[in-house]
Amino acid sequence: MTKADYYCSVKLSRCRCCQSKFFNESIRMLRQPLTRALALKSPTRAAPLAARCQATQIQPQPDKVEVFIDDKPVYVLPGTTILQATAQAGVEIPRFCYHERLAVAGNCRMCLVEVEKSPKPAAACAMPVMKGMRVKTNSDLTRKAREGVMEFLLVNHPLDCPICDQGGECDLQDQSMAFGSDKSRFTDIHFSGKRAVEDKDVGPLIKTIMTRCIHCTRCIRFASEVAGVDDFGTTGRGTDMQVGTYVEKMFLSELSGNIIDLCPVGALTSKPYSFAARPWETRRIDSVDVLDPLGSNIVVTTRTNEVLRILPRTNEEINEEWLSDKSRFACDGLKRQRLVTPMLTDSRGNLTPVEWEDAIVAAARALRDCPPEKLLVVAGDMADAESLMALKDLANKLGSENVCTEQYFPLEGAGIDLRSSYLLNTKIANVEDADFVLLIGTNVRFEAPLLNARIRKAYVHKETDIALIGPQVDLTYDYLHVGESASIVKDLATGTSSHEVMKRLQQAKRPIVILGADQLKTPEGSALLAYTQELALKVQEKLADKEWKVLNVLQRTASQVAALDIGYKPGVGKLLQSGPKVVYLLGADNGVVSRDQLPKDAVVIYQGHHGDNGAAIADIVLPGAAYTEKRATYVNAEGRAQQTLVAVTPPGKAREDWKIIRALSEVVGERLPYDNLDEIRDRLSQVSPALVNYGNVQDNNYFAQARALAQSLQKPISGKMDVQLKQLEDYFMTDSISRASPTMAKCVQAVLKQKQSSY
Amino acid sequence: MAGALARVIQGTKSHLGLVGPLVNISNVPVRFQQTQAPTKSKYGPLADCDRVFTNLYGRHEWRLKGALSRGDWYMTKEIILKGSDWIVNELKTSGLRGRGGAGFPTGMKWSFMQKPSDGRPKYLVVNADEGEPGTCKDREIMRHDPHKLIEGCLIAGSAMGAQAAYIYIRGEFYNEASNLQVAIAEAYQAGLIGKNACGSGYDFDVFVHRGAGAYICGEETALIESIEGKQGKPRLKPPFPADIGLFGCPTTVNNVETIAVSPTICRRGGKWFASFGRTRNSGTKLFNISGHVNTPCTVEEEMSIPLKELIERHAGGVIGGWDNLLAVIPGGSSTPLIPKDVCSTAIMDFDGLVAAQTSLGTAAVIVMDRSTDIVKAIARLIMFYKHESCGQCTPCREGVSWMNKIMYRFVDGNASPKEIDMLWEISKQIEGHTICALGDGAAWPVQGLIRHFRPELERRMAEYAACNGPSKAERLY
Amino acid sequence: MSARQAIQVGTKTVKPVLSTTPGEAKRRVLNLYKAWYRQVPYLVKDFDIPKSEEQCRAKIKELFLKNKDVTDIRVIDLLVIKGQIELKESVNMWKQKGHIMSYFKPTEEPKPKDFLSKFFSSNE
Repeated sequence: MTKADYYCSVKLSRCRCCQSKFFNESIRMLRQPLTRALALKSPTRAAPLAARCQATQIQPQPDKVEVFIDDKPVYVLPGTTILQATAQAGVEIPRFCYHERLAVAGNCRMCLVEVEKSPKPAAACAMPVMKGMRVKTNSDLTRKAREGVMEFLLVNHPLDCPICDQGGECDLQDQSMAFGSDKSRFTDIHFSGKRAVEDKDVGPLIKTIMTRCIHCTRCIRFASEVAGVDDFGTTGRGTDMQVGTYVEKMFLSELSGNIIDLCPVGALTSKPYSFAARPWETRRIDSVDVLDPLGSNIVVTTRTNEVLRILPRTNEEINEEWLSDKSRFACDGLKRQRLVTPMLTDSRGNLTPVEWEDAIVAAARALRDCPPEKLLVVAGDMADAESLMALKDLANKLGSENVCTEQYFPLEGAGIDLRSSYLLNTKIANVEDADFVLLIGTNVRFEAPLLNARIRKAYVHKETDIALIGPQVDLTYDYLHVGESASIVKDLATGTSSHEVMKRLQQAKRPIVILGADQLKTPEGSALLAYTQELALKVQEKLADKEWKVLNVLQRTASQVAALDIGYKPGVGKLLQSGPKVVYLLGADNGVVSRDQLPKDAVVIYQGHHGDNGAAIADIVLPGAAYTEKRATYVNAEGRAQQTLVAVTPPGKAREDWKIIRALSEVVGERLPYDNLDEIRDRLSQVSPALVNYGNVQDNNYFAQARALAQSLQKPISGKMDVQLKQLEDYFMTDSISRASPTMAKCVQAVLKQKQSSY
Repeated sequence: MAGALARVIQGTKSHLGLVGPLVNISNVPVRFQQTQAPTKSKYGPLADCDRVFTNLYGRHEWRLKGALSRGDWYMTKEIILKGSDWIVNELKTSGLRGRGGAGFPTGMKWSFMQKPSDGRPKYLVVNADEGEPGTCKDREIMRHDPHKLIEGCLIAGSAMGAQAAYIYIRGEFYNEASNLQVAIAEAYQAGLIGKNACGSGYDFDVFVHRGAGAYICGEETALIESIEGKQGKPRLKPPFPADIGLFGCPTTVNNVETIAVSPTICRRGGKWFASFGRTRNSGTKLFNISGHVNTPCTVEEEMSIPLKELIERHAGGVIGGWDNLLAVIPGGSSTPLIPKDVCSTAIMDFDGLVAAQTSLGTAAVIVMDRSTDIVKAIARLIMFYKHESCGQCTPCREGVSWMNKIMYRFVDGNASPKEIDMLWEISKQIEGHTICALGDGAAWPVQGLIRHFRPELERRMAEYAACNGPSKAERLY
Repeated sequence: MSARQAIQVGTKTVKPVLSTTPGEAKRRVLNLYKAWYRQVPYLVKDFDIPKSEEQCRAKIKELFLKNKDVTDIRVIDLLVIKGQIELKESVNMWKQKGHIMSYFKPTEEPKPKDFLSKFFSSNE
């Protein structure tokens, strides 16, 4: 059988599963072996789709079957596994290899349960329920089976819990307490020892102690299914089986850190966090990540006013339970290169530490002396909504309207007046329901790694196809590369192109178009946006699902959406050319403003938390707080407002950002009318209620209006598109925090070194 | 029989379009004449005229010419044209049970494949990964009678509507694979397989896939994985291969012997085959007798032949006489051994050996006389299983290597008698808790040893303690 | 608890500390006040504190007036007892100079109230 035949047969089976109910069932029952996830549907994720289908198209509800968990009747859909059914009954079954977001492996055998009339215990994670099945989760046979498996797992597991980083949060520890035997039968009179396995070097983020591995293969499945890197696997067999990368190789993924969370034992632990702390010594504070535009939910683990590590927090709407490596590991950048005291340039031009009073007075004098039209305010990547609001109010009170962000967005046409023009309207979670994705000028993999993980999920489990206009990059999945020229978008929008992509877009039931905000920087940006809007709307109008949104603009930074909502002007452009006398940089570190663009006598006030590009050109430095040090609002690319909480206090004399501006305003003589967080949030809600509607996204539906306003902008375009982050090494250091992080620097080094290796 | 059947077929040739009913009508009288025998009480020896494998010892030509002279490929087209229902029915009548060890009724297995097609192709996979220690039957078929297997593939394939057969052959069987490949080439050239196989209008391909030397690849799902180019690690069941097998398509995996006897069954009739052996254990079977016998051999015999008769008639008896017998492993290394007193009465069929707390397995009889160090023999088997465990699931990976450590201490007697019960318990913790049957196969020999040779184990421990003082394990345990 | 018991508990007379009537309590307070008042010149002299007699009398008055709204005679009695203890400790020189001065809270600064002062003076 040729390869083509194989794909053909797989394809056939894929098509059939939509049509035949029988087959659908059998597919849902299916638990794939490790590497099959690509070809076949995942059983666990089929359910939400089914629910969606039923909501939109009237389909007969599949009859639920009755099963008995410990004699308690439960009604579940046919095809659910015993483990899911018991979860419904409120009984938790111990497991190691099973993970609800990964394919079922069924190899740890910890979840064995007795099923009446079955001679052997069944693996609950894999066995689909049958009608009238009676499962006993606490019978003698079940307990004996668990105890046996536990004993076997511990036979070769080292007794190094006291020096193991997983200690205290280890599944094996917990479950051996709950289900293990009370004594050991391991008699090693020849002192042959336990199995010892050489540690693997998989890069600067993940520390491996492979002797502790219990071969659950979660990391392998994560790598091949979610991260799309098939580097992990097993070698050897029997007791000699090892999990590893076959050859010594770095785990080249932007999602690698997640295998640390997935590992149920201490085989994979965090290298930067190694031997740092025990889980019971730490405080955990729920917060929000700001290093990419998605606003992943995180838990900040701290001890003695120090951020030790960052873990993901489950949020099905955004990051599920994953976290990208930059968000997870850049936290050591929060301790380095920090601005800890206010500073002023002295007579020799060096920044010298001063007291707050002096700095504020100096800044106030500069602001007061500046003609309103010569004041320029630039907000950076990680500015929170409160400080953005306060700074804009201050500038306005001083009579200036020159408040802008570093990132550009076209102001022609509807510009930023309609929220739907600059948001990820489909929403992150809905991306996995899409059946066709058109990416325009974006490398989603590094601009928003978890959005890319969603697209990959759709690609793997729902046969979604992806097309890309823009430079060819590795997105971890196959896609149709349409070209690099921006004119393709024009041709598609105006209907002059009969490219296959157009057909696919029109045939799709739930297509989405994602436009990278970076492409709008060029002079042709407004036309590109106009054509993209035109294209998306043309497709959307014909959809059966009227709720479905096609147009998406993927912003690059965590602050941009909030800034545009508040009324900042995107891009510094002309304002910079007009020769400002005072430039107020609110965490603007991306080098958009540089000294040689400014008049000689211009005063630069930098307010932010890191001594980076912005502070380097500043005359007055006001130290602010990083996202782990303040309670602040951030709005992610979907337009979802979320808040960070105070995990640690700002270092040295640094203060929360909005308070600095509030204090400054009083010294300037234009007192801002809010003294505490509640009052400034009231002010935010006056500007836009969406800014304080935490956790929710408001629907925006002004596509038609935006299109009408953009009609005149549809001019010929010809440029080639380019993206900033092309390779993995570009991804790690993109902002002031990650640039200050030694871990991220090591990552870049390691990736570059790996690229030189022959593997 | 074959002639009678052929006459019947010729007589109904013009009506072949209506195979189903005609076949039933025309076959009934033939069968009645053949097998209206009263219930048998004596089984074996098998008459020469009833042998399926007529070139088992390679005394004749193995190529196509020789095969044709032995009646292979005779009327294959007509058999195919009788339709899959007829073939499956004939197999069901024959009572043929899988010859690979588990003994699943073949007719029923094939009928699982007769579900209406959903558009996916179907495959037949022939398990020629004969790795079980003691077993050497399939290789005889493949090197001396390869055309029986190829014809069997065609007939089995047509019965289940398969597109192609994959013969997964053990990597060590170099000569066998080469003979098989030659035979396949001959069959292709003669138009017996390939497009319009045997002129029946049915397209059928046969591929040979050589393994790389892993015992676990004899497990059906591991074998499928291996053909797909992955590590040979068993899949979870369900879904069974009949639903999702090779390349995600419905697949049946059969042993070489099962497939190779099917053409003869179709030619001579299921009733003929069913006339051998006890009910539910019918047919003829290749027995491999090895170990401490005078003339180790592979021989085709009737099922349900007494073990003692099998050894004495075909293998020249136990070395040193029947009284020198210590124990017999009746069905390949994974079956529990039985001691001499049980051997005297054991009946060599599925049910007979289950009654003796062991299993027919592949009918590879390993005879051990009193010179055998039985503990060491079993320990060596466990070492084999430890080496061959795929390492995928916990009980097998960890349990078998643990058993191995304990068994080798038992060989010296450097252990506590209390550990015998512990070993028994460990073996029970492995058995039935694993993904595939390798765990069971590793646990059974140990269980057999403890069941029948516990005094021997205790004797050794006492002896060791007398020489060296109490074992360290005594203090630790 | 039965109704009768409840009534018993509710109407149970509380045990007096010292005084049984408000008048008696008032008398004790005035006596304590006078005792302090008379001791002022000696305290100033003995402890050598940088305060005048007037300032000390004013402080005594202030501290007494701080509790002027207390009506519960048991509380008044306890305050009186505490006052007597303080007095005894002072008169017998069991206290030291710092203890006496701490009545005047010389090192305590008022907390800033407005935003800007808070910003400059604290670490918020």
